[in-house]
Amino acid sequence: MKKVVIDESFLGQLEQLGTLLKNNVAGMFGGNRRSKNLGSSCEFADYRDYMPGDDVTKIDWNAYARFDKLYEKLYFDERQMHTRIYIDASRSMAHGSDDKAIASIKLAAAFAYLSVCEMDKVSIYAIRGAALEEIAVGMVGKDSYLNCINRLNELEFDSDSRISEAIVPSVVGRGDGYSIIISDFLTDENFEAAIDRLAEQKRDILCVQILAREEINPQFRGKMHLFDSEDQSKFFRKKIDQDVVRAYKDALKYVTDRIRLYCESRGGQYLFAPAYLTLPEIFFDKFVDMGVVK
Amino acid sequence: MSFLYPLGLLGLIGVPLLILIYILRSKYNEQTIPSTYLWTLSEKFFKRRNPLSGLTGIISLILQILTVIFASLLIARPIFVVPASASEYCFILDSSGSMNTQSGSKTCFERAKDYIEDEIDDARLGSSYTLITLSSDTAVVYERITDKDIAIDLLEELECYDSSADNSDAIAKAQEYFNENTSTLVYFVTDKDYNISENVEIVNVSSQNVKNYAISEVMGNLTEGTLYASGNVISYTSDETLDIALYVNGGDKPADTLSISVKAGESMPVELSCKAASYDSFRLVITNKDDLAIDNEITCHNLNSEASYSILIVSETPFFLEALLDALTDSMVDVITPREYASQGGYGLYIFHSFTPETLPDAAVWLINSSESVDDSGFGVRGINELDAPGELVRSQSTSSQARKLLDGVIGRDIYISEYVKYSGMYTQFTTLFSYDSNPLIFAGVNALGNREVVFGFDLHKSDMPLSSDFAPLISNLLEYSCPDIIDRSGFTCGEEAEINITANIDSVKAISPDGEETYLDTSTDISRLALDRVGTYTFEVSAAGDKRTYRIYSAAAVSESNPASTGEDFSLIGEQTYEKTDGEFDPLVILFVLLAIVFTADWMVYCYEKYQLR
Repeated sequence: MKKVVIDESFLGQLEQLGTLLKNNVAGMFGGNRRSKNLGSSCEFADYRDYMPGDDVTKIDWNAYARFDKLYEKLYFDERQMHTRIYIDASRSMAHGSDDKAIASIKLAAAFAYLSVCEMDKVSIYAIRGAALEEIAVGMVGKDSYLNCINRLNELEFDSDSRISEAIVPSVVGRGDGYSIIISDFLTDENFEAAIDRLAEQKRDILCVQILAREEINPQFRGKMHLFDSEDQSKFFRKKIDQDVVRAYKDALKYVTDRIRLYCESRGGQYLFAPAYLTLPEIFFDKFVDMGVVK
Repeated sequence: MSFLYPLGLLGLIGVPLLILIYILRSKYNEQTIPSTYLWTLSEKFFKRRNPLSGLTGIISLILQILTVIFASLLIARPIFVVPASASEYCFILDSSGSMNTQSGSKTCFERAKDYIEDEIDDARLGSSYTLITLSSDTAVVYERITDKDIAIDLLEELECYDSSADNSDAIAKAQEYFNENTSTLVYFVTDKDYNISENVEIVNVSSQNVKNYAISEVMGNLTEGTLYASGNVISYTSDETLDIALYVNGGDKPADTLSISVKAGESMPVELSCKAASYDSFRLVITNKDDLAIDNEITCHNLNSEASYSILIVSETPFFLEALLDALTDSMVDVITPREYASQGGYGLYIFHSFTPETLPDAAVWLINSSESVDDSGFGVRGINELDAPGELVRSQSTSSQARKLLDGVIGRDIYISEYVKYSGMYTQFTTLFSYDSNPLIFAGVNALGNREVVFGFDLHKSDMPLSSDFAPLISNLLEYSCPDIIDRSGFTCGEEAEINITANIDSVKAISPDGEETYLDTSTDISRLALDRVGTYTFEVSAAGDKRTYRIYSAAAVSESNPASTGEDFSLIGEQTYEKTDGEFDPLVILFVLLAIVFTADWMVYCYEKYQLR
C-alpha cells in the first residue's frame, strides 16, 4: 500500500468538510467536551454525602444549613478528550474494485481532523495480527496533525487482523472520548471482546464497517471457486445462482445486524459505509442520520 | 421420410460439439475475493426456492441441442410420404378476349388465375399440375410439374389475349392427359357456362350483371370529299342509348357523333360522316363505359398511300409496256433506253426489254427477250430459235397455287411467236406460265439475289401477245407478283394471322403490337406471318433499300368474344373418371420453423435470465 491518500488536495477537502460541518452542525461528537468522570471543573454536576477524608472546601454549607447534613458538591471533570482510531490493516481491506483501504484511511484522517479541531488528542493505530501498530499517537492541534497524518500513506494492508486480541490488551483510556474501529468485519474472529473492553472503559464506541460494491451486491454467476485473500486454505466452491446470491445477501444482513446490535447493546454506534461513497456523503448523510454529527 | 437437401444433416455435428463445449466450460472459475466469510456463512441461509434453477445449465444445453437439431432438419428439409393423398391436376385456363371482362375489382382472367393458384396451394404436396391456356392457340404452359412454387410463378406470368377461343385443341390436349390417367382432375376455368361437361369441372369466374357494348363491321367510303364511316353496334345485356363518335386521322376531337337507342342483343347499323379530302385512318368508338373495353372501337387505316412503288423500263421500244403499266397502276413509270441505263437505283421493279444488263439490280426484275446470260439470273441462254411458221404458246396446266395465281384471268389461246430464246440450267423454283415445244418461255421465280424475277423468252414485238386479251391480266398478275402489296388489307380480327408480302429489297420488317411489343419478322420467305393476339393497331415498319415505310392495320375484337351471356355447348372428355390417388408428401417446414423459433427464443430467455435478471 503505497498510494498517497493524504495529500494537499485531500487536506483541502478536509478543511472544507470541517468548515461545512461547523457551519451546518453543532460540532463533532456533539460539541460538549465533557468527560464521563467527575472532576474539578467549575461546572456543577451533583451532590453526594460527605465522607471523611473528602475535600472540605467542596462542602456545600448552604445545604448543611438547610438540611443539617454535610453534602459534598461534585463538578464535571474537564480533562482533554482522547480519540483513538483503529484501522483494520488486513489484506481483505486492500482487495476489491472499490478500495476499502483508501476509504478507511480517508475516513480515519477525517475523524482525526475533526477531533483535533475540537482540541482533542488523537491517536491512530493499525490492527496488524494480534497487535496494534502505532501510526500517529497523541496528535494535538492542527500542526501536530499535519506533521503526523502523512504516516497514513505508509500504511500497509498485508496481514491478517484479530481485532479483540489487538485491542483488549492495549491501553484504551478510560472515559475520555471516542474509540473508532474501521474494518470490513468480514471475519469470524471474535470482535465482541474488544467492544466489551472499550465499553468497560466507558469509551464512546463507533464501529465503521466498510464494504466494497461487489461485497454488497456480488456479480458472480455460474460455477465459482472463491479463495479467501487472507487465507488461501479457505475457499468457497459452489455454482452461484439466484438462490445462492439471495442467501449471501441474507448472510450479509445477518452480519451487519449483529455488529450493529452488539454495538448498540454496549452503548456504541455502528456505521455501514460502502467504500464507493465520498466523505461528504458519509458525514452529511450517514453520521447526521445517526446523530454522531449534530 | 426423405430429405430434399441431405447435406443439411451435417449440421448435427454441432450436437457433439455443443456437449463438448459444455463439458469444457463446466470447470469452476477460480477467483480470489477479500473474504469468503460471507459466502461460507450464506450456506446457513441457503434455500432452494426454484428446483429448476439448479438445472439452468442443463436446460440451456438441451435447448441449444434442440436448436441445432431443428436448424439442421430445417436445412435438410425432411419430406414425409403420405400414402394415397396426392392428385393429378389439369387446369385449362381460358385466355380469350372475353376474359378481359371486368368482374368486380378484377378481370375474369385475374380471378381465374387466383382460383387456380388457390387450388394449387391447397393441393397435397406431391400432386402434379398441368396448365393449358386457351385462346386462338392452345398452349401447354407446363406439364405434370410437382413444384408448387414454379407452377404458381409461371401461372402469375400469364397474360390474357384478346383473341377468340378455340376449344377443340384444348379438349384434345386434356383428353390426352385424361387417357393417360383417368384420375386426373380436369378444371376448365372460363367465363362461360357449358351445357354439357363430362369429366371436366367447369369453373365460371364471371360475375352477374355484366354490361357490354360492341361495334363491328366498320367500313369507310370516301365520296366527293366526304368520309362515310359505317358499322354495327350492339348492347348485349340491356337496352341502352349508345353514343358513337367518329375520329379522323388520330384526332382527339370527334369529327361526328351519334346517339342511338339499341335493344338488348339487337345489332343496329350506324353511319357517321365528316368532310375529308383524304384520310390516313378513322376510328369509330362507343363512348359509353362498359365491362369489356376491347370491342368498343375499331380503327380503319388507309394503306394506299404507302403501297405505291416506281418502275423503270429499259427499252428501245417500250410502247406496249408503258401504255399498259400506265393503265394498270398509279405507280411512277420511268422509261430509258439501254444506252441511258447506268444501274440506276431506287426502283421497285426493273423491266429490261430486249436488253441484258451486265448485272442484275437488287430489286424485282423482268427480263424480256434477254438474249445473253447474266449472273444470278438463275438461268442460261442457249441461243435464239427462229421459227419457220408462227408457233403457239402453250399455257401451263400446273395446279400449283403460284401458277394459278399468276395465270388468273389468262385464257392462253391463240398467242403466237415468230422466234424465241432457248434457256437452259433453270432452277426448279421457277414457275413456268407459258412454253413452246417444251421450252419455258414465260416463267417467274426468285433469282440468286433473292429477288422476284419474271422472264419472257421472246420479243413482244415478235409475238401477238400485246394484242391478245390475255396481255393485260397477265401483266397485272405479274406486276402484283413482282411488286406485291406489303399488306393486302388493314382490317383484321384478333386471332387471325396478318400476312406480310416480303418483296424485293426488303431488308427488315418490324412489327409493333398495340401494347408496344416489337417483333422482327422473317424476311427470308415470300410471305411472313404475324399472329394478331391483341386488339388494336399493329404497326409494320418496312425497310427496303434504304427506304422506310410504315403500314398500319387494326386487329378488332372477335364478335364471338363480346357476348357475356353466351353459353358453350360441350366441353367433355371421353372416358370414365376414377378417383385413385397417388402417394403425396408432407413437408413439415412450417412446424420445424416454429419449433426452431420457440426453442431459440427459450434459449435466449434462459440466457438472459441467467445473465441479467438476477442482478
